[in-house]
Amino acid sequence: MKRLSGGLIDRSQTIHFTFNGKRYQGHPGDTLASALLANCVQLVGRSFKYHRPRGIVSAGSEEPNALVTLREGARAEPNTRATMAELYDGLVARSQNHVGPLNFDLLAVNDLLSPFFAAGFYYKTFMWPRAFWEKLYEPAIRRAAGLGELSELPDPDAYDRGYLHADLLVVGAGPAGLAAALAAGRAGAKVLLADEDFRLGGRLLAESDQLDGAPAQDWVAAVKAELESLPNVRILTRTVIFGVYDHGVYGAVERVSDHLPTPGGAVRQTLWRIVAKRAVLAAGATERHIPFADNDRPGIMLAGAMRAYANRWATAPGTGAPVAIFTNNDDGHRTALDLMAKGIPVAAVIDARRGVERHGEYRLLPQADVIGTQGRLGLHSLTVRTARGSDTLQVGALGVAGGWNPNVHLASHHRGRPVWDERNLAFVPGQGGPGGLFPAGACAGKGSTAEALADGLRAATEALAELGLTTPALPLPRAEARYDNTAPIWHVPGKRRAWVDFQNDVTVKDIVLAHKENMRPVEHLKRWTTLGMATDQGKTANVTALAVMAELTGKTIPQTGTTIFRPPYTGVSLGVLGGGDTGTHFRPRRLTPTHHWAKANGATFVEVGPWMRAQYFVRPGETHWRQSVDREVLSVRADVGLCDVTTLGKVDVQGADATLFLDRLYANAMASLKVGMVRYGLMLREDGTAYDDGTCARLAEDHYVVTTTTANAGPVYRNMEFARQCLWPELDVQLISTTDAWAQIAVAGPKSRELLSRLVDGFDLSNEAFPFMACAPLTICNGLRARLFRISFSGELAYELAVPARYGHALMARLMEAGADLGATPYGTEALGVLRIEKGHAAGAELNGQTTGQMIGLGKMVSSKKDAIGNIMSRREGLAAEKRLLVGLQPVNAADTVVPGSHLFTQGAPRDLAHDQGWITSAAYSPHVGSSIGLAFLEDGANRMGEVITAANPLQGSEVAVRVVPSHFVDPEGGRLRA
Amino acid sequence: MLIPHPLLGLRDAQEFTYLGDARLIDRPTGGNEAELAEYVYLRDNPAGVHRELWFHEQGDRSWLVVTRNTLTHEILGAELARDVSLARKGDMA
Amino acid sequence: MPDLSPLCALGARTPRRVTHGALTLTETPECGLASLALRRGTPPPALDLPGPGRWQAADGLTLIWTGPGQWLVELPGAAETDVAATLAGKVPGASITEQTDGWVLFEITSSAGAAPIEHFLERAANIDLARFAPGSATRSPIEHLGTYVLRRAEDRLGIWGMRSAAESLWHALDGIAARMVGRG
Repeated sequence: MKRLSGGLIDRSQTIHFTFNGKRYQGHPGDTLASALLANCVQLVGRSFKYHRPRGIVSAGSEEPNALVTLREGARAEPNTRATMAELYDGLVARSQNHVGPLNFDLLAVNDLLSPFFAAGFYYKTFMWPRAFWEKLYEPAIRRAAGLGELSELPDPDAYDRGYLHADLLVVGAGPAGLAAALAAGRAGAKVLLADEDFRLGGRLLAESDQLDGAPAQDWVAAVKAELESLPNVRILTRTVIFGVYDHGVYGAVERVSDHLPTPGGAVRQTLWRIVAKRAVLAAGATERHIPFADNDRPGIMLAGAMRAYANRWATAPGTGAPVAIFTNNDDGHRTALDLMAKGIPVAAVIDARRGVERHGEYRLLPQADVIGTQGRLGLHSLTVRTARGSDTLQVGALGVAGGWNPNVHLASHHRGRPVWDERNLAFVPGQGGPGGLFPAGACAGKGSTAEALADGLRAATEALAELGLTTPALPLPRAEARYDNTAPIWHVPGKRRAWVDFQNDVTVKDIVLAHKENMRPVEHLKRWTTLGMATDQGKTANVTALAVMAELTGKTIPQTGTTIFRPPYTGVSLGVLGGGDTGTHFRPRRLTPTHHWAKANGATFVEVGPWMRAQYFVRPGETHWRQSVDREVLSVRADVGLCDVTTLGKVDVQGADATLFLDRLYANAMASLKVGMVRYGLMLREDGTAYDDGTCARLAEDHYVVTTTTANAGPVYRNMEFARQCLWPELDVQLISTTDAWAQIAVAGPKSRELLSRLVDGFDLSNEAFPFMACAPLTICNGLRARLFRISFSGELAYELAVPARYGHALMARLMEAGADLGATPYGTEALGVLRIEKGHAAGAELNGQTTGQMIGLGKMVSSKKDAIGNIMSRREGLAAEKRLLVGLQPVNAADTVVPGSHLFTQGAPRDLAHDQGWITSAAYSPHVGSSIGLAFLEDGANRMGEVITAANPLQGSEVAVRVVPSHFVDPEGGRLRA
Repeated sequence: MLIPHPLLGLRDAQEFTYLGDARLIDRPTGGNEAELAEYVYLRDNPAGVHRELWFHEQGDRSWLVVTRNTLTHEILGAELARDVSLARKGDMA
Repeated sequence: MPDLSPLCALGARTPRRVTHGALTLTETPECGLASLALRRGTPPPALDLPGPGRWQAADGLTLIWTGPGQWLVELPGAAETDVAATLAGKVPGASITEQTDGWVLFEITSSAGAAPIEHFLERAANIDLARFAPGSATRSPIEHLGTYVLRRAEDRLGIWGMRSAAESLWHALDGIAARMVGRG
């Protein structure tokens, strides 16, 4: 290890880590990047397209090159920026994107073939022959491209999600952010201070300037102590505010334990949804570089990062050889001064501007450019061109200072457009960005320390004033107030490639090519060259790129403009977005009251929306689902079956106007329903289409229970509330859902009355006392309150018995026990479906949002005597002209299967839309008919009984001859229902 | 987005289901098919201030009429739809 | 006495309970629940009805505002009784339904004051804690499930969720509390 003096590292502890299999050492406070530099490791990766050797470029989250795969096994994380990875003991990292060792990447041949890989190459090359694209070229390009690799093992870590509310969110804890948070904290506001770094201080951690004549760390420590003591201030370090959403909602990710060897029970990351009345954006600025020939070698980094490594991390790039600086502004000179103060020799400061002077005892080359570099695996020399000619300098590292770009990203979400600041040659936040967000400090173009402090205080004061809070006076420390005097020197033109976007390997030549191909608007430039589209989102490249394009087009930079900024500011893992639960628990499940009973009795379950419903019950010896389902279907019609139908929506309707309300809601007459009776109800959409059916039970004069299909429980309830609150608010009606409250079990079959008589407490179940479609409250099993409805979905003598849900399980067990000698059989959704198809009952497949009451044979039910929802529109010309009606279908050959979704044609007709006469909506095997049966909509179906037509299934290339039959396959007279 | 519920204060839009143009409150009652067809199918769809219906499904189950700028998402106000509907019926009475 | 045995919402005969650090989660099956909606013409009830965002104890009951003119009413210990009839006796002329088994009640108590409760709520629901002092009640989604959250005291919460989703809701609440003490 080579360490300089000072720095914010803890030399009392030594940490061991491994990079590409070799062991190295570092200290707490190091990042992986600073530790690698301290261990003289320059080469950290290979570039995306050309596989050129690359080194560390920055000291922050803008890092484009040093992407490593951190950790191993299931926790391996590709594309981790070494500059953001806090060093811990036992850290393991590997470089990415090379075949063979890092220093001998076999894919570096791409660099030699670079003319074929220029921007947009996949639109021009590898096109022919066509078949080769899909089978050869694309897979090969994909394999060669890309950066890191996923482990593809399940993520073993836990993630959390949380919600925070604040008066003021301060984004960034540099000088501006600390001043803002302190002022707001002292004003008594509820403050959240977030910074992506693991320490507060921002740029103050990297600079050698003093505050009030003392080290900047002293002031930072004092502010931190005071903020921590205030109960109304909360500090979130290691937290990125990644996006601004409407109305003061911010998204943030806190890296809770990424910096530990293992989370050890803690969550790994937390996703915070922050609602802040106001926010101060103190996000700082990011340095840009200056493209020149071969500017991407390991050892070439941003000058500001170079001095951050020297000051904060007590290390410098290079192997002890002198360092040079290439700059177009005064800030570059500061790096030279800081390096010299730490004992690092500075070969020269190469300043592209004219008329400049040096700031210290170093060699200055004014009006000079770097025009070439040497050292493939690590810089060892560079070529300078001055007014007098060119020269070679032997250097171990080069710091490049191209000016500073305010981090305007968050202020530019919501299509905010930054504006050009000519004095500072940078984009600063403009008007029209997210409301309630106050940019301050370097991100607002006020980048000197003195300006940043004052601006942070100003922003907090303005923000709090809008909330009616007064900010107390806050004395600020004396600080430097330098002006960088940046010159508009954006790149050094030349013949060799000069990189602009390091991560996606985009060069100045690519921008020239884009200009030639007329991809000149910045959004086209971006997408055609992929500049700014990598994981770093072009943070060190974008402004330089559009400056180059501006030169080419002859427009000004503000005329050229920027691309749109979108969240996230830095990458957000899917794991933290997914939150605490994965696998089965990712989506909530709803279980019926008899779920555990069903499971214990051989049920296989099916998902119906969020519900788990028993699909069929497997008895010992049954090996195929058809055995179980056929048995259940036969049992219901021969003896008695039991089915949990709790999932169907139940809405309790009360009020003086309940009757009138329901009569306006249902297509069929409902006002005439008597107390103690149930009626089938059809609901239409306002455009006349049928959308749900169910029952309406009148328990009392002003008290009804409405049932819906399982799938439509939510929408029907929503529509009922819409009618109640928006259409007819003058009616006295109250609604509430009771779906979960009552366990409801269908008891169906010729022996159902006998079975129920063994449970009811002295209730007269005779056909006279309790006819078909009756309903009543009663008690069962010695006093348990219950409700009984005599309704049937199967077409058999049937009832539905409802009890408070906590008794559902016991009720099912009791029914089975009491009905043992009657052959009582539980049945699931499959049998439920077969039974209703045998009976010709419409269900979801028939009410698919395209059909009308008329089509399902209920046209007469849609009353013409009232203005219920949809009734009038159901009679409009287009719907009245509809000729397709519900019929039954049976295969001519009993061994054939009727396939739902098949379309119907007369035999011999062309299979096209013009001759399409309808489609099959539902089908199942009927053990009662002895073949597959189906329900279908068929043109003029009622008049075609007995006709043989063709059911065509072109998707699977099959056709079946079917006979048109009445849709009631079993008990067409309905005698069993009314027994 | 945050919706300023008239009774509950600011609530996250995630708690709501969106329906559309608040003109859906004005259901024609004359039994005229043409009027109903217009009610069902025609909307203004402005780029700007829009009055629209939101259902507080994960909240108090109130329908709200929210005035929102469809370009900026700025929300200018929210009322109980029941109150809006009653006021309209009072106007027409 | 009915000769059928009831089950708790989480599927067992006895209620579930777990402790993670300072927080204890308890399934509470004995609390009855009914809905109350005032009709036009209901005489003003003798009960103190809370306004939006609040709950209120009155006459041995706890009333929770759920919507304009609507409340849920807790009847502690009355889960096995006809709560609708009981409430109808107290508020004649109103629309009332039995809700006891439509919901599951989880009580969350802290043995270390308000901080664990607030830490828990921060992770469970999008609720502004500055406006959620004892006496507050709100409907809120927790992990996509609709719930009613009551701040009974500084150190106590009641959470009502859909009975059919009891296992999913318990899993969510249990997970949040467990992750708070590093048992993620």
